[in-house]
Amino acid sequence: MSPSKLRLIVLFVFALFAASVAAAEVHEDPLERQTMDIAKDLRCAVCQNEPVSDSQADLARDMRHEIRDQLRQGKSRAQIIKYFTDRYGDYILLKPPFDYFGAMLWILPPLLIVIVGAFGFAVIRARARRKPDEVPALSPDDRARIEAARGAGQVQR
Amino acid sequence: MSVNAVTSALALRGLIAECRAPLFKPSGRLMLANVSLNLIELGHLCAFLAFMVAIVQGLAPFLARYLKIPAFGRVSVNAAILVALLTTVGGITLIHAFITNNFSVLYVASNSNTQLPLFYKVTALWGGHEGSLFLWVWVLTLFTLVVAWHGRRHYPERLPAILAVQGWLVAGFYGLILFLSSPFTRLFPIPPDGRDLNPLLQDPGMAFHPPMLYLGYVGFSVPFAFAIAALVTRWKSELWVGHIRRWALIAWGFLTAGILLGAWWSYYELGWGGYWAWDPVENASFMPWLVGTALVHSIGVQERRRMLHTWNIFLVITTFSLSLLGTFLVRSGVLSSVHAFAVDPGRGAYILGFMSIVLALAFGIFLVQGRYQAAEETMSSPWSRESMFVWNNVMFTVAAACVLLGTLYPIVLEAFNARVSVGPPYFNAVMIPLFFFILALMGIAPLVPWRKANLAKLRSRVVWPVIVGVASAIVTAAVWHPAWTGIVGVGLVGFVVAGLVVDLGRVVLTRRQQLPNENVVVAVMNTIMGNRRHYGGMIIHLGIVIVAIGLVGSGLFRSDKIVTMAPGDIVQIGHERLRFEGVREFHQANYEALQGKLVSLNGRYELTPERRVFAQNMPTTEASVHSTLLRDVYAVIADSQDGRYTFHLYVNPLIQFLWLGGSTCIFGLGFTLSYKLRRGPVSARASLAANVAK
Repeated sequence: MSPSKLRLIVLFVFALFAASVAAAEVHEDPLERQTMDIAKDLRCAVCQNEPVSDSQADLARDMRHEIRDQLRQGKSRAQIIKYFTDRYGDYILLKPPFDYFGAMLWILPPLLIVIVGAFGFAVIRARARRKPDEVPALSPDDRARIEAARGAGQVQR
Repeated sequence: MSVNAVTSALALRGLIAECRAPLFKPSGRLMLANVSLNLIELGHLCAFLAFMVAIVQGLAPFLARYLKIPAFGRVSVNAAILVALLTTVGGITLIHAFITNNFSVLYVASNSNTQLPLFYKVTALWGGHEGSLFLWVWVLTLFTLVVAWHGRRHYPERLPAILAVQGWLVAGFYGLILFLSSPFTRLFPIPPDGRDLNPLLQDPGMAFHPPMLYLGYVGFSVPFAFAIAALVTRWKSELWVGHIRRWALIAWGFLTAGILLGAWWSYYELGWGGYWAWDPVENASFMPWLVGTALVHSIGVQERRRMLHTWNIFLVITTFSLSLLGTFLVRSGVLSSVHAFAVDPGRGAYILGFMSIVLALAFGIFLVQGRYQAAEETMSSPWSRESMFVWNNVMFTVAAACVLLGTLYPIVLEAFNARVSVGPPYFNAVMIPLFFFILALMGIAPLVPWRKANLAKLRSRVVWPVIVGVASAIVTAAVWHPAWTGIVGVGLVGFVVAGLVVDLGRVVLTRRQQLPNENVVVAVMNTIMGNRRHYGGMIIHLGIVIVAIGLVGSGLFRSDKIVTMAPGDIVQIGHERLRFEGVREFHQANYEALQGKLVSLNGRYELTPERRVFAQNMPTTEASVHSTLLRDVYAVIADSQDGRYTFHLYVNPLIQFLWLGGSTCIFGLGFTLSYKLRRGPVSARASLAANVAK
């Protein structure tokens, strides 16, 4: 390969590289980020157990559009979430609120720890207090046998 | 070659094909179809026979007792062998029907397709509701066979009772399979081709995930059968706990592997960048895992210190009940989640009824007979390994109860016409603190000695792990500024790892005092090899720690972006710079694909996410992942509009640690199980030990 050709190739490669550097860098739409942040805590009402952010369902898409529109109107996260709970009820929230129905979900886990923990503690305490069974006294026969074994050096003291 | 020549060549080939077609193809297929028609009916017959023989197996010990013919008890052994053989014939005929494209079988027509690769034709056996249930019962009969084989030598006098419990379980599941959801149902007229296997299931992860999970679920049926048989026949639990320990460990291992494969599948196949969604179906497998974990720990205490007997039986029954509940939740259609494909109230009612009967009987027997299994030994001190195991059991039981609450509460409320959603934010809020407690316990428990700890000594053992833990927490907080969960998580990981080192180092140091000439590496190896049961467990702990690192990394440090790009555009995510090169379309045997290409500008890799349209017209996304140990770059192609394509991009740090840690756990389990089994009839030796203890 002649040097001029080589130079051409090198130039060409650099040109490619320059082009790639010059290419448009795409940034994420910050609105999209905010939308998804709200959408991940909302349940897609027609699909089961899928957040709006992950779902491909039409309703989820519409809900994402709605969130985006309301964000454009300058509404806050709380306002948008209220908009959806007004329409669908608390059912739409993936994190159940602490209310009439949801309270149990939040009270029971700590209560369970306390109850089961107390139970475990009681078991340990009760077991620890219980005295070990009395060791029965050796019968004279057995004692003689052990002494004999010790005498023969079979058992160490 | 001229155009003419090409067309004539093509015409000639077409002609040949046409000539050959009536000569070979239909007749050949007809004959094959005929054979498989007969075979599937043979399989169906075998399944019926297996159902009836299983009932005999369940009745045998009762007949032996009430008709006073002890020899009848032995029938159950032969029955168990026969049931396993018959079920295997049934399973093989089903697989044969899949391989030969026998679309006269409704289940094959709904879950397979002539274009499906052979591998997936075989795994399609468990691709749907009917087949999964059949696999369940197949595994159950095979396990029963192993118990029958093993028990003839080791516990012949109790074997009929154990096999009877298994026999009733087999019969219960066969009742569902044969009368409500039969995979042998025929279809006329025979369709020319089947519907496809759900494309999401055409993945190696999904091919092995259900069998692994079922091996785990069903594996717990063996300890369950032992427990029930022991309760009814008042068999002292120290005589049989040694047998179920291995079963429980093996079942736990399969369940662990099954859950990990499920997470793996979810990550690589579902294209949402995550691996665990606290979906009810995932929870269904996680609950038996949690209680099973408590069980494998407390069985160890029972073996070593002769305590917690009754509690262990409770755990055994609960673990298997949760396995049944898992099957019920997934298979009844009561959850309408992405996994639950079945929607048939008859089946749901049957499974619910069957489960209720099993639970009521099992817990009823436990309440009446449990006291005869009570423990004998006392606990010397609250600062002992024994008490640590009690805390372990407390934490795992509460964890399982919380998952149960979050999973069932919406279903229960729905019955009262109220609706509530319990999603990942709830489970994370409740479970993460529990996991932290468990991690802390995991760090400290191996350092606490059996019977009674010398507190001064314990303090000197714990001091280094605490220092390491606090230091790693501080470093994490200073360098990465994560949420509090990240700081605590990393701190606890440091604590546990240092604890493992101290645990091993202590023994190695003592060994070196006695054998000063031994090389350090050799000393470490010999120490570990000398107590495989203990260090196997510690390897599993290490695996859990590695998983925890993965959870912290991928859970707290994940970055994701949704960008719409035209070819040539560049995007930056995390430290990765990617250029979108363009898309291409291509055809595969069973789907059509649109493939996008992203090239890394600062690494030597490219990502090729796909959107696929399968025969069922259901579009799926195929994520493209570039993994290194420290991070995954994960790309999914979503929508397209006017030549611009929307990508979901994720950088998941440390996610490979999940699979690495999981494999470590499985390796540790194998290691712990590899210690040499003492030969000879165990019951005789154990009863001798019991007598000596008296």
